Amino acid sequence: MLQNKANPTISKSTGLPRKRFYRARAHSNPLSDSHFPVPLSPSHVDYSLHYPQLFPSSDCSDGSKKIEFADIGCGFGGLLISLSTLFPETLMIGMELRDKVTEYVKERILGLRLANPSQFQNVSVVRTNSMKYIPNYFEKGQLSKMFFLFPDPHFKEKNHRRRVISPHLLDEYAYVLKVGGIIYTITDVEELGEWMKSCLQNHPMFEPLSEMELDGDPVVKLLSTATEEGKKVARNGGQTFQAVYRRITLASQENS
Amino acid sequence: MEGAQMEDFRIEDCENDNNTHEDSQMEESEQNNKHMEVAPAVISVHPTRNSVAVAVGSDLRVFNLLEDCAVILVDEAGGASHNDSIRGIKYGANGKLFVSAGDDKLVKVWSTESWRCIATVCSEKRVSAVAISNDGLHVCFADKFGVVWVVDLPGVDETQAPLNKKAVPLLAHYCSIITSLEFSPDGHFIVSADRDFKIRVTVFPKKPLDGAHEVQSFCLGHTEFVSCLAFICTPDSPQGSLVSGGGDSTLVQRWSRSLGRISFLQALVVVYLEDYYGW
Repeated sequence: MLQNKANPTISKSTGLPRKRFYRARAHSNPLSDSHFPVPLSPSHVDYSLHYPQLFPSSDCSDGSKKIEFADIGCGFGGLLISLSTLFPETLMIGMELRDKVTEYVKERILGLRLANPSQFQNVSVVRTNSMKYIPNYFEKGQLSKMFFLFPDPHFKEKNHRRRVISPHLLDEYAYVLKVGGIIYTITDVEELGEWMKSCLQNHPMFEPLSEMELDGDPVVKLLSTATEEGKKVARNGGQTFQAVYRRITLASQENS
Repeated sequence: MEGAQMEDFRIEDCENDNNTHEDSQMEESEQNNKHMEVAPAVISVHPTRNSVAVAVGSDLRVFNLLEDCAVILVDEAGGASHNDSIRGIKYGANGKLFVSAGDDKLVKVWSTESWRCIATVCSEKRVSAVAISNDGLHVCFADKFGVVWVVDLPGVDETQAPLNKKAVPLLAHYCSIITSLEFSPDGHFIVSADRDFKIRVTVFPKKPLDGAHEVQSFCLGHTEFVSCLAFICTPDSPQGSLVSGGGDSTLVQRWSRSLGRISFLQALVVVYLEDYYGW
C-alpha cells in the first residue's frame, strides 16, 4: 500500500505522506459517537499491531513492556516523532479523534520506519476519543507522561465541559498516571491556559513542577517547538502558556 | 399537616436552568421518545425488610411489611411526590433514610420512620441514579450528563421544616448516562456504572463535598451498557463482592475487589425475584 506508485498522497522521494492530502479542520466534536473499535480493557490492547517489531505476535504482551507516554490529541504527530528518538526505549502512543489526521500519522510512522531501520518502532497512533476511553487503553498507574498540546479551547462557556482538561477528567488522568508521572499542557489561548492551570492547581492529586525541574526536563522545550501548532504560533510571534504538573498521592485525610 | 402551605417556587426555579442548544436537542429527542417509552419500574427493599418501595412512572408507593399496610408519604407540596417518571429509588444502608428522584429533577429524601420528605434537592438535569451513604450523612445522585452530585444531610430531624439543599459535583463519567450508583458495604467506595460499558470504583472520601478524586479501579469487561450493580456479602467474601449486569444479556460478572481487576465468571445466572406480595 505504501509502495503503490500511483498513490499521490505519499511522496515518492521521502516515502512520507504529503500533508495537503490529509488536511482536516482543527475542530472535531467529541460528543458525536464515531465508530471506531475500542479495546475491551487495557489487556486487550494489541501491542503487536502498534509495535510489530517489538511484539512479533499477539501473545507477547504479558507484563513485559507497556506504553508509558500518551499524546492526547496528537494531531500530525510532531511531538511523538521527536519523543521517539529522545526516548528510544519507551513505548508511546498518540490518540487522535480525527480520522484523516490519524491516517496521516500512521503513514508518517510507517514511512519513517522504512527509511530508518530499527528506529521509530516505539511509537504508534490510534484513532479514539480519549475523553471517554482512556481507562480502556491504560491500566492504573501505567503512564509516566501525558501530553495535552494545544487542545481545542471550546471558547463558549457552555462548552467548557467539553474541554479535555477539566476537574472531572483529571481524576481519570490521575488514575492512569503513576505517582511521579508528569502531565504537560500548553496552549496559545490565554484563557484556556489559565483554565488548565487552575484545574490542575485545584486538583488534590497534582502539584506543579518547580522552575528548576522545568529547566532540567528536555521534554518541556519540545512542547512549543515540536508540533505544527507550536511552529505556527512561533511564526506568528504568539505567546504560549504552559502548565506542567506532577501526579502525587492524595494527602491522607484527617479523621473529621 | 405541617408545611402544607409551602409554595412551589423551588420547583419552578429548577425548571429555569440554562439549556444549551445541544442540551435542548437532547432533551427534545427524549421528549419525543417519552410518549412511547415508559420508564421502567424500580424497586428497593429496606435493609431489614421493614418495607418495600416501588415506583412506576411518577407514582411512588411504599408498603410497610411489618404492619402489612400501605404507607402514606407526607410531602409538603401535597399531592403526588414526583411530577414525572421516577428513575431511581433507594434505601440507605442504615435503614433510616430513603431517596427518590427522576425526570422531574427533584431528589427527595425521606425519613423511613415518619415517611415525611425531609429534604429536597434540585438537580439541573434529569436524574438517572441515586444512592445514600451507609452512615446516612450524604445523598448522591447522578444526572443525565454523567455527573454524580453529593449533598450532605446533617441528620434526620423530624421537627425541622424540609430542607432545600444544594448539591456539589462529586465525580463524573464523561458524557455517559450513569445507570447505577452503589456504596460498598464498608462505605469506603462508591461505584458508578454507565451506558458506555464502564464501571468506576472511586474512594468515597471523608469530605465528599470536596469531590471524590481517587479512582480505585475501573471494571471493564462488559460489551454493552451496564444497567445494574449490587454488592453481595457471602461467607467467603464478607466485605462484599461486586456483581454487575447489563445489556450484554446474561453476563453477570463478579469483580475481584481487592485488585479491582476482573476475574469474571461468564455464567448464566438466573436471578430470582422474591415475590413479596401480589399487589
